[in-house]
Amino acid sequence: MTSTTPFVQYAPTQLSYDECKTPTGELRPGWQLIADFFDAAGPDGMKEFVAESDRSVRESGATFNAIGDIDGQSRPWQLSVVPLAFDASTWTRLEAGLQQRMRVLEAVLSDILGPQRLLKERIIPAELLWSNPLFKRAYHDLPPAGGLRLHVTATDLARDSKGAWWVTGDRTRAPTGLGYLLENRILTSRLLPQLIRQSNVRRLASFFDRLRGRMRSLASTKQENPRVVILTPGDNSYRYFEDTYLARYLGFTLVQGRDLAVRGNRLNLKTLGGLLPIEVLWRHVSDDKCDPLELDPSSLEGVTGLLQAIRGGTVAVANCIGSTLVQMPALLPFLPAASRFLLSEELVLPNIATYWCGGEKEKQYVLANLDSLVVRPALAVSDSKPLVPSQLSAPAKKELIAAIQANPHRYVAQPHCQRSTTPVWNNGQLESWHMALRTFHVQSADSIDVMPGGFVRVSPQSESLDHSITSGRLGQDCWVIDDKPVDQETTLLPPPGTLIRLTRSGAELPSRVAENLFWLGRNVERAESTARLLRTTMVRLAGETNIGELKELPRLTAAIAAVGQIEPDYAIAGLVSSLPPLDRMLPSSIFDRQPPRGLQMSVLNAADKASAVRDRISLDAYQIVMRLKAELTLPRAAHTIDIGGSIETLNQLIRDLLAFAGLASESITRTHGWRFLQLGRRIERAYQTAELLAATLVRSESDERSLFESVLEATDSLMTYRTRYLLSLQPAPVLDLLITDQSNPRSIAFQVQAIEKLVSQMPIDAAEVTLGSDQKAAEYLSYVIRKSDPYQLATCDANMHRRNLNDLLQILIEALPALSDAVSARYLIHTGQEQTLTGRSIPD
Amino acid sequence: MTEKAPVRYRIKHRTEYRYSDPVAICQNQLRMNPRNFDHVECFDVSTEIEPPPDFVDEHDDYFGNKVYSFAIESNHRQLTVTVTSEIAISTAPWMDCKQSPPWEQVVKFVRSGEDPNWTSVGEFSRDSNLITRCEDYAAFARPSFAEGRQIIDAAFDLTKRIHSEFRYDKTATKVDTPTYEAFQKRAGVCQDFAHIQIACLRSIGLPARYVSGYLRTHPLEGKERLVGADESHAWLSVYAGAEHGWVDLDPTNACVCGTDHVPICVGRDYEDVSPMRGVVLGSGHPILSVSVDVEPIDG
Repeated sequence: MTSTTPFVQYAPTQLSYDECKTPTGELRPGWQLIADFFDAAGPDGMKEFVAESDRSVRESGATFNAIGDIDGQSRPWQLSVVPLAFDASTWTRLEAGLQQRMRVLEAVLSDILGPQRLLKERIIPAELLWSNPLFKRAYHDLPPAGGLRLHVTATDLARDSKGAWWVTGDRTRAPTGLGYLLENRILTSRLLPQLIRQSNVRRLASFFDRLRGRMRSLASTKQENPRVVILTPGDNSYRYFEDTYLARYLGFTLVQGRDLAVRGNRLNLKTLGGLLPIEVLWRHVSDDKCDPLELDPSSLEGVTGLLQAIRGGTVAVANCIGSTLVQMPALLPFLPAASRFLLSEELVLPNIATYWCGGEKEKQYVLANLDSLVVRPALAVSDSKPLVPSQLSAPAKKELIAAIQANPHRYVAQPHCQRSTTPVWNNGQLESWHMALRTFHVQSADSIDVMPGGFVRVSPQSESLDHSITSGRLGQDCWVIDDKPVDQETTLLPPPGTLIRLTRSGAELPSRVAENLFWLGRNVERAESTARLLRTTMVRLAGETNIGELKELPRLTAAIAAVGQIEPDYAIAGLVSSLPPLDRMLPSSIFDRQPPRGLQMSVLNAADKASAVRDRISLDAYQIVMRLKAELTLPRAAHTIDIGGSIETLNQLIRDLLAFAGLASESITRTHGWRFLQLGRRIERAYQTAELLAATLVRSESDERSLFESVLEATDSLMTYRTRYLLSLQPAPVLDLLITDQSNPRSIAFQVQAIEKLVSQMPIDAAEVTLGSDQKAAEYLSYVIRKSDPYQLATCDANMHRRNLNDLLQILIEALPALSDAVSARYLIHTGQEQTLTGRSIPD
Repeated sequence: MTEKAPVRYRIKHRTEYRYSDPVAICQNQLRMNPRNFDHVECFDVSTEIEPPPDFVDEHDDYFGNKVYSFAIESNHRQLTVTVTSEIAISTAPWMDCKQSPPWEQVVKFVRSGEDPNWTSVGEFSRDSNLITRCEDYAAFARPSFAEGRQIIDAAFDLTKRIHSEFRYDKTATKVDTPTYEAFQKRAGVCQDFAHIQIACLRSIGLPARYVSGYLRTHPLEGKERLVGADESHAWLSVYAGAEHGWVDLDPTNACVCGTDHVPICVGRDYEDVSPMRGVVLGSGHPILSVSVDVEPIDG
């Protein structure tokens, strides 16, 4: 049955508390407008909303997906069209409980990392620390930032059949979900703009504003304009895309461990302009990974000396290192007593019943009631699925019992948690699905702000929500409905009246980012020139002329081999006949991942580099590179790869690469980032052209016209040539256009001139008086090109050999990679190899 | 019992790294500076580093050890750290103790909290990174720990058994050899012996901690004392109840530690006290040499 008025017909089960309707079928406060809106839309309208929502999720997915290589579906859920609504009074009560909870957790954490009165007075069992591998003694007594240890936390909640809230867990280290929920809100606002405005939905922007303000206020020095960075574990971490999103949204710099260095006892950002001090570090790296000197020595995610900098008081780290301790599940049963002991307060929000097996009675209870419980690790939050003993096989259950007996302190058990339901559009009607809510809170010296809303996951089965933040079938936007119109003004832009200090900076570019941009430039250019050369060749193969009669073909093939697209054997005339025929081999080479400098690898590398600098290039540019990669790496059956299809693929590829180049020149400010991207591109283009000419034009032939035409086409210069010289094809004008003509953006002279300019604009250390080796190399190239004369280059010796041309091209083919190395050595390799020392003589 | 005058030493601990290639930056932490214990007092501690560091800082760690941090931020091929100090060691009460409580009582009181020091000693009876308790260790310990036996007596008996049943062999283990492997091999060096006795004591419920330090060597009859011939050493302490506190035992030399043993740092195992930890930037391969001199001086 389809419902014509979805909300009128929505009939939740009576077993759970329903967020939308009372047991007698009345709408709860806050839902009226939402119900009216969707009832008016009807099932057809719903269908459209769902289609629209799926489309925008897919689109945003391109920018929001985590790491490219994991089959591209890292966005773990779709968005449900119907939001979850709470009225202001319900929310206010919950808010008060959450604020208190954050204060309690702060007090517990500062006790654990300080005087440990809770242990001495036996409020919490000493075992939770003494037998907890997560408790590194180096965390103890580190000074807190701004007087507090917790700055941003999250709490997971469920609601029982009577509508009472229960806490299922806390996240005190670096909670995930802020980026996702923001994205959910943005998508929902686009989908339901009127409804969200009429409904007086409290805005999220003011919360993010507080968060940003809080982070900035932690700076102990340079409070006016502190440098705040987000430390992400790296571009292959599940956190990366959310961190990228937050950094962009909040205007913080996204950094990885490699971008940081402690000198003296200050934390710095390694940039092209040198080391710049960091005042505030919002770290999303595990506590133990933050400092290889004092913590896990194998970690590359943190920075050597960070704890020293913290002790020196020069950098504020949020949340404090060691904050992971108060999210341990085993702490839950002891929190009410800890709250009474430390703050003389009763806990407003109860925890879900949690039995820590380290207690003898609790262990007995758990073992006697295993089938009605869920078992989890006690000492650390785990991403693995909780164990449900009732669903285990007999041997697996026996194993679990033995494990609990052997190390009881490592386990907690909880009853299956009851969860409320909320309407979700599925199968043409509103169904009641279970929901899990994660709330977020920011603490400052005198207040705790709770985000109005939260991250909501829904699923038809309650248990599937117990797992982790990524479990559940759909995400939902969460609305807190105010009784009065909400302030529409707050945005993350600075309030009117405050003057922003103008900057045109660029020197702040982290060296790692510069390096990635440089290689992004090289790889997109390599892809483009290879694609052009392949297309030129394949168009001829597909033409009417017999392959044997194509005089230019051997030279073109040699060029394709020279640039690394196919086996070098193809460049040797005598060997070609023994190799697979070109008309089959060239199309399949497009999809071949073996050649390291081939088209496929160039595109994959470009996509990697683009992912690593996602916060630095425009979303459009990033999406183009991702689309390129998706198109080119689509698995295809061998027989579907033919010349015609391949030419079409190459056409599309070249169009996309041009679009990327266009964005790069139009949408990026001329800062150092842009310069490195351009430098990579220019070096690669000059190199590719030199290789092409060396393979095709050094040896002369009696009739070279078709070859000239192909070379001009492969370098996108045929049109220019024709406007200048019409149909007369001669070597000197061709070589002028491709080598010495500074006005042709495809010529080597143009590239070299651009390289010289770019290199001269690179940041120079004031201490350096002489030219850098990169500048010397660029000047030399420029000199060599300027003194070249097209007529001399075109001259052949008695053996039909263009000796002058060959000499010039060989210089280029050697000097360009050397220039690239010089640039890397001077600007990009800040970090040599790090190694750990253990000062151990074997004591006796 | 008459109070004997403390024995005084001048100690010089020199550590040198030479690198095959220049190292650009090094950031290090030393745990070589002596600290006070109940029976140990230190004076005039100085740390000299060559080349001169760009940054130094000192702090006490969780276990009360002195941590000296420094960084050198320019190219260097050699790094020398010299720590000198004067130390006075008194005769600790346990060094010639006749009476101590039954070992089970120590276990019980620490566990129940009747022992006034339970919060500070309790964590030394748990597992640590390099030492995981197990039944094999407990089984090895039991012959020494007969029912009701006095704790110092029993623990010292275990010390002597480790000394006689384990082979001292520098080639048997490396710095990162797991304790259990050395235990099975019945061989190792002082670090392994200390770890093994700690593992045995913890496995029957007693708190035990790792001690790093130096051992004064006595010249052979009629010979001159050799400068720099002394060495870093390691032993352990067992907690013997509120009255006796931590008692130091040396399984490498089968003795209750006396005034020849100079403790520097304590921790749960070697990892908490490793004398030098560092991260260097550069691929230069380090060659390490260490010399220690423990010179008795007249008080």
